[in-house]
Amino acid sequence: MPFEFRLPDIGEGVVEGEIVKWHVKPGQKVKEDDPLVEVMTDKATVMIPSPRKGTILQTIGEEGGIVKVGAVMLTLDTGDGSATAVPPAPAQAPVKKETPAAESKPAAGSSRSLATPAIRKMAQDLGIDINEVSGTGPGGRVTKADLENFGTATQAPTAAKEISTAAQVPARQEVEEIPLRGLRKKIAEKMVQSKHHAPHYTFVDEVDMTNLVNLRVSAKSIASNRGAKLTYLPFIMKALVEGLKKYPLLNSSLDEEQGKILVKHYYNVGLGVATPDGLTVVVVKNVDRKSVVDLALEIEQLSEAARRNKVALEDLKGSTFTITSLGALGGMFATPIINYPEVAIVGIHKIEQRPVVRDGQIVIRNMMYLSLSFDHRVVDGAVGADFCSYVKQFLENPALIFMQL
Amino acid sequence: MPDVSPSLSKADLLRMYREILRLRLLDQRMLTLQRQGRIGFYGTATGEEAAIIGSAFALGKDDWIFPALRQGGAALMRGYPLVEYISQCMGNSLDGTKGRQMPSHYCYRPANFVSWSSCIATQIPHAVGAAWAMKLQGHKNIAVAYMGDGATSEGDFHVAMNFAGVFKVPVVFFCQNNQWSISVNIKQQTASESIAMKAIAYGFQGISVDGNDALSVFGAMSAAVQHARDGKGPFLVEAITYRMGAHSSSDDPRMYRSDEEVEEWRKRDPVERMQKYLLDQGSWDAEKQTALETELNREILDAVAIAEGAPPPPVETLFDDVFSTMLPHLQEQKDGLIRCRQPL
Repeated sequence: MPFEFRLPDIGEGVVEGEIVKWHVKPGQKVKEDDPLVEVMTDKATVMIPSPRKGTILQTIGEEGGIVKVGAVMLTLDTGDGSATAVPPAPAQAPVKKETPAAESKPAAGSSRSLATPAIRKMAQDLGIDINEVSGTGPGGRVTKADLENFGTATQAPTAAKEISTAAQVPARQEVEEIPLRGLRKKIAEKMVQSKHHAPHYTFVDEVDMTNLVNLRVSAKSIASNRGAKLTYLPFIMKALVEGLKKYPLLNSSLDEEQGKILVKHYYNVGLGVATPDGLTVVVVKNVDRKSVVDLALEIEQLSEAARRNKVALEDLKGSTFTITSLGALGGMFATPIINYPEVAIVGIHKIEQRPVVRDGQIVIRNMMYLSLSFDHRVVDGAVGADFCSYVKQFLENPALIFMQL
Repeated sequence: MPDVSPSLSKADLLRMYREILRLRLLDQRMLTLQRQGRIGFYGTATGEEAAIIGSAFALGKDDWIFPALRQGGAALMRGYPLVEYISQCMGNSLDGTKGRQMPSHYCYRPANFVSWSSCIATQIPHAVGAAWAMKLQGHKNIAVAYMGDGATSEGDFHVAMNFAGVFKVPVVFFCQNNQWSISVNIKQQTASESIAMKAIAYGFQGISVDGNDALSVFGAMSAAVQHARDGKGPFLVEAITYRMGAHSSSDDPRMYRSDEEVEEWRKRDPVERMQKYLLDQGSWDAEKQTALETELNREILDAVAIAEGAPPPPVETLFDDVFSTMLPHLQEQKDGLIRCRQPL
């Protein structure tokens, strides 16, 4: 009999865990306490050591997969041969909650149904003789559901039978249930909070990025000398910060409780990053005081850390304004949701060559849409539009960015 | 300030070191058992062994301990059998609390080691009340209230400190300041420069001591205990230490503190410091160390095996310990339960 390792409740009352990393493979020999697998629950990521010595027969579940508490994760040949060797695994006892033999299910009508006092009282109130009810709870205990079903069963035995037959036909699984938890749950809560509190309006404009495209081409080699991969983001950040300096209300948050608008005189720009678990916002601090190349390096570092789930807590906090970049995924425009309690967010889109009219001529230029959402409680429509066209100037004439430094 | 220099015989030093090392090894094993699903929950004392053992070492046999989460090692030192300690975490029939307490919440009557409730700071007024009773009855024993740094923010702390000061009761408040109350750092816990200084406001003395130095802790605690025993009133001892591990098996400290901070404190590891002291004294060597580790690990594994072999507490014990004489309706239920469980 191979030894089965079941996922224990490694937190207090957790129901499942995610397999982060397997440290063993089938065929591998392990000693007692050797690391088997790293599991992440709602509470913590922990390494599970082997309770036994032996050879791994099978690992169950992929990295990134979810395993329920109590489910078999791994089987182990303890090498002791047959049933003689391994006593019933104590490792399983607290997990599996085996029913002791003495608690074997009493037959209905045996005049000694097992039930708690509350259930006995309920049976009495319903006029049911509890000893007539067969229990489906642990150890054959009569449960509330048993009493309720007992009522139905006696009143309409035919109907009940039909239902139970119908229930046995497995329905085609058309809806997959994914528990809302971890990062996904956080995202859901934050989005609701933002949409619930801040009346959004979205403003879209088109920017001619041709000059910036050319500038980036020539600046790329300078950046790569310092090991940086230069994208458009650092330039866009700089342009936005110029806008925020001119329109400080956009770099604020509204404290509803105190009835105050808190205007920030520092510029920490949040960047939405897609990670395997979902959207995360990393924060580039003091953008006004950093060079374009410094920003490029920092953005690369933070996004990489975010994708690998290794961002330090302080790099996830304290943004005053947020950028959501769909980059190459493009699209035309979007209606971004504000990173609450901030009051503005900008979505940047794909740069593509489009025919536009310049001096009465149709010419091909590198165009990009900007989608800006504002909290209308703080930012009036005119202010939002002014901000956008001010920022646009910098993007269309990137030399201006450096004039302001 | 009283004399706080420690005086211990060589035999006592070795006994103290043995307890400290046992606690370190036991915690490692217990946390492993938790990860393997063999116990449900555990709170390690790793990094705080010197504070726990050093302080409890200064107590007399008849003194009373009102512990917080991490003082199980003090109970062991005072005679709590290791098998019962482990069984407590399993809630089996060898557990004195019959599986009714949270794991890691020990109590042991023969050692005057009172059960802890998970609620923070509630044990502090209990200790003061017990100490007041001792004073009224003219006894020469004292009570110790153990607490973490987080407990000092609770109302119970104030009430207990104030009462103890006014009535001059023989109690020692021992605060194991391990810098973190789960995820709240001491800097967010209090604006005071120290916890020890809080005693001044209540009209008695407080002392801060290096909590990772078992001998300093023992010295300070001995003076505090003597002070209380001599009828001079309460005393507050603050042991500055560090929780090297997680708050409990359900916690992940990487979420709120840096690895660098932990590494910084690892340099002040209390077990290594005591070992180094013994080496310097010439009363210890590598061979003795290995032999002791082997012996203690053996003791621990043997105790685990015994504890794992024990069945759960009999279900009938559910009805025990509520009324001194069982009430008729409970007796009826108990009889019914026993009847149900008999094979047909």
